[in-house]
Formats: sequence, structure tokens, C-alpha cells
Amino acid sequence: MNILVFIKQVADTEARIIIKGDQKSLEIENKYNINFFDEVAIEEAIRIKERIKDSQVTICTYGTKKAVEALRTAIAMGADRAFLLDNTNLENHDPLIIAKILSSFAKTEGFDLILCGRQAIDDENANIGAITAEFLGIPHVSAILKLEIMDEKKVRVESELEGGREVVEVQLPALLTTQKGLNEPRVPLITGVMKAMKAAIPSIDPCSLGIAKEDINTDASRVIVLSYEPPKKRPPVKIIEGETPEEKVKNLMKVLKEEAKAI
Amino acid sequence: MSKDILIFVECKEGTVRKVSLELLTKGKEFTERFSSNLYAVLIGYQVKGIAEELKAFSDKVIVVDNEILKNYRWDTYAAVLEQLVKKYIPYMVFGASTITGKDLFPRLAARLNVAIVSDAVGIDFGGEGVRIKKPIFGGKIISWTACKEGSTSLITFRPNSFSIDKRSLNGELIEESLEIAKDPRLNVVNIERGGSKKVDIQEADFIICGGRGMKGPENFQVLEEIADIMGGRVGASRAVVDSKWREYDDQVGKSGKTVSPKLYIGCGVSGALHHTMGMDTSKVIVAVNKDPNAPIFQYADYGIVDDLFNILPILKDELKRAKEEV
Repeated sequence: MNILVFIKQVADTEARIIIKGDQKSLEIENKYNINFFDEVAIEEAIRIKERIKDSQVTICTYGTKKAVEALRTAIAMGADRAFLLDNTNLENHDPLIIAKILSSFAKTEGFDLILCGRQAIDDENANIGAITAEFLGIPHVSAILKLEIMDEKKVRVESELEGGREVVEVQLPALLTTQKGLNEPRVPLITGVMKAMKAAIPSIDPCSLGIAKEDINTDASRVIVLSYEPPKKRPPVKIIEGETPEEKVKNLMKVLKEEAKAI
Repeated sequence: MSKDILIFVECKEGTVRKVSLELLTKGKEFTERFSSNLYAVLIGYQVKGIAEELKAFSDKVIVVDNEILKNYRWDTYAAVLEQLVKKYIPYMVFGASTITGKDLFPRLAARLNVAIVSDAVGIDFGGEGVRIKKPIFGGKIISWTACKEGSTSLITFRPNSFSIDKRSLNGELIEESLEIAKDPRLNVVNIERGGSKKVDIQEADFIICGGRGMKGPENFQVLEEIADIMGGRVGASRAVVDSKWREYDDQVGKSGKTVSPKLYIGCGVSGALHHTMGMDTSKVIVAVNKDPNAPIFQYADYGIVDDLFNILPILKDELKRAKEEV
């Protein structure tokens, strides 16, 4: 089975993020990881490879040159090869453009199964999976919790519905987005890390994938960031005093009713 | 281009979901300012009764009633919306940033080749143009974005982003019968619903969340009782879900659900970043923790420093009494 995994390198949740003076750009502390949900996708791809003979796991990201680190981590986990779609001078907030580039890459080879995380934890869009599937003309299932390969042509997946679960059989090729609960991503072994350090990771210019530059450059974006601002800060916490638990709860009820009007 | 707005309405158990009424309310504010039309789009099977309920909130209610649309699937629902957008050419289409909305809207955006902004929490049209408010990096930064003019844009909003204002518009009912076919590559084998009448956690006005300080799964019973009294839901921190005390569906935080209830109470939740990123848009936050230095107190409006096992039974009785007084 030929499996492709799309990943994104994102700022660590603990990374400091500063809004620059122009209020249109951000300075992000140099702490990056693979997007958590994408790690789940990598893990699932490797598990399929371990079960099904002659499988290959390819990792691909659209990002800066720095994102090669994320690709190396994926190889260290057990992926076979990785490609960087270099976004230098092509930065963009339009998910349709990013999906166009990713789908063009996917078309270069016949992949049976494409996996990616249900959403990136930086922009929280949850767009890339379904858009890419539509561009490739293949079915998708979002946020899967279980995956079973039935044969070379079919998978059975379970995903979350509002207040329930759904089990769907999907014909391949298909795109599945992964979420927490599907598996526990492994920590790379030292042998994997050694292999990853030596791995050659080709960098691809998106324009070489048969897309016109004016269709994917920053001006082509239909979504424009106007400004960034810090979130409104809450006033410091009011600790509810009282001699006994009863008194504390009574005092809390009073402020919730009268001051916060939350009850 | 018109300034009409189309709202994709979601239903649950034969009623309109609260989030859809929120979107209709906000949409009406917009169409009133621009003297345009607000369309509610209702897709399903035997949903005409629900359409009646929507009339009060919209200028026009488009109903697509077909057995093939009984359960949500992106293939059939995207086919319907694609045809409706092409026919009515709205300025914007609003949907909810729910499991359904997150699955449907990107697929639709790709099919229509139009701009999409997801998981927004606000929209401003008081000045020039439309500005969409969206938290990024788990709420550490607020971004204001815009879509280029010229084509329809699709926007999904988090539940609890807007208030509901019931109008009595008596909108016109439009029945559309459309060509819809299922994608044969997708075969639904089984749908299992919890059968729970409880409100969806993302839509809940009240959430009481348990952390590791709850000490064990058996102690969540009192949280369930409190949530029932308040008509809300019980949430859980990542540590709790990872310890298998609660289902993943209940997890609040970065790798779980993002919630913004009117009142959030955290019990024995330390307040790690990945948790607070999922709840810091809540209107009022209360934290109960015996450790006065727990980070959760940096995010809370009110705090009680005490053993939660002393506090919770009393809190339950007080909330029950308060509810009975109303």
C-alpha cells in the first residue's frame, strides 16, 4: 500500500508569540513540533506498513526550510521518505491554495491512502484534509478514531458524530483525517534518529508541480489577515473567602448571581 | 453582488441546534444593516415541521426535504449547498464550527472554489468591509481577517459566539427539489447515537470540568449531578482522559474540544496550557483547587482554595436551590 501523510510544523503550545509593531506579523519563539494530530497520522501510516507487506510511507509538508526538522522526525519514527514543498516567498493564509499545492504533489504518484491530522493546532482551521480530497476527486472521512484495512481497495473507519459514532466503509484511494484516540504516537528510537539524520530530503518548488505561480503566490490568497491583537485579559482572580466550605460556596453563589450574573 | 446571507441550519433530535439560532441572529443583524435577505437553509428528511420554527428567524427558509438527506453526509449535503449557492449567490454562507460544519464547509469551499474562514468567534461589519475575528495559537492571539470581495465566502463560527434574539419575521418558505446522488465510494455501515438528550458539550451554557484532582472515575458522579441540575455537561482534562476515567468525547482542551460556555467550573484542574487553550473563551470561569498556586487561578474570574470534596456536595445543593428559586 502506498501511503502519503501530510504534516505541518507548528509552534509548540508553550512557545512565546509576540505581535510585531506593524500588528500584521508575529514573532514566534524558536520552539516547534509536528502538529499533534499529524503525529497520529504518521503513527497510523507506520502501523499499516508494519502489517501490510510492500507498503511505503511518504511524508510531505508545505512549509519553510525549517520544516525539514519535522520531516526528519517522521523518518525517525519509521517513515520511508519525505518531501518539503518549500513555501519561501509563497506564504499564504488561504487553505485552498495550500490544498492545491498538496494535491498537486499527491497527483505525482498514485497514492492509495492519504492521512493527515484533523486540524493544525496553530490556525485551528481543520480545512486541508477535506479540501485536498475534493481537489483529488476522492472521498474523505474526518477525525477518525479507528481504522481497519479490509483489502487493497477498501478501509473501514469509525469517526465521531455529534453525540455518537459512525462506521463507514470507504473505497480507496481516500483521504482520512486523524484524531486523538486512534493510536499513541511512538517516540523515535535512536536507530531511527540516526537513519533520519542521514536521509536525503528533497525540497520541491511548488511551481514545478504544474501550478502557475500567480495562482499560489501571496496575492492569490482570498483570505487576508488584517491585523493581530492580544486577547482580552481577564482581571485577576477573586479568591472567595470564608471560614468554612459552606461559607465559601455561599459567597461564591452570591457573586455568581449578583456580580457575574452567571446563574 | 447581493449582500444576502445564507445560514446552513443544523438539527438535533428534530429541533434546530442552538448554534444555528445564534448564526441566524447574527445574520439578521447583517442583512438589516444592508437591507438584504437572510436565508435559512434546512436540509434533511421530514423536516418541514422544523422549517416552521425557522420562519421567525429568517426572511426566507429554503427546505430541501429528501429521504437521501436523512443523515448528514458530506457528499449529499455538499451537493445541495453547491446548487443553492450557485442559484442564490449569497455574499456569505455561515455554518457552525461543529463536527458536521468542520467536515462539510471545506469540502464545499473546494467545490465552489471560494474563500473559507473557519472556527471564527466574531464578525464586525460596522465599518468598511467585513472583518472576521478568529483566535489562533489556542487563543494566545486574536486575528482579524477578511475575504477578498467578488465571490461568496464561507465562514464557520464556534458555538456560543453570539446570543440568540428571537424575531417574528414569518419568513417565506421555499421548497427546493434538487438532483442529489450518494457517492458510491462511501458506504455508511452503522450509526450509533448515544441516545443522550444532553446538550452537546460545545453548545452547553454550563460546563463543570474535572481534573486529576478528582482522584478517580467514581468521583465524577457528583459532577454529573451538578451538570444535570444546570442543564449542562461534564468536561474532563487531558490527564483524566488519558487515565481512561472519562471518554475522549468529553475532553476539553487543545487536543480535545474548544468550549465557551457562559459558566465554566474547573474542579481539581491544574490549568495546564493545553487545557486553558480549550476553555479560556468561557464567559465566567470558576476554579476550585486546594493548591493556591495552581495555574488555573491565572485564568479564572473566581477561585475557591479548598478540598473539592468538601466543596462539591455543598455546591450541588446550593445550585439546586438556586435553580428551584427561579
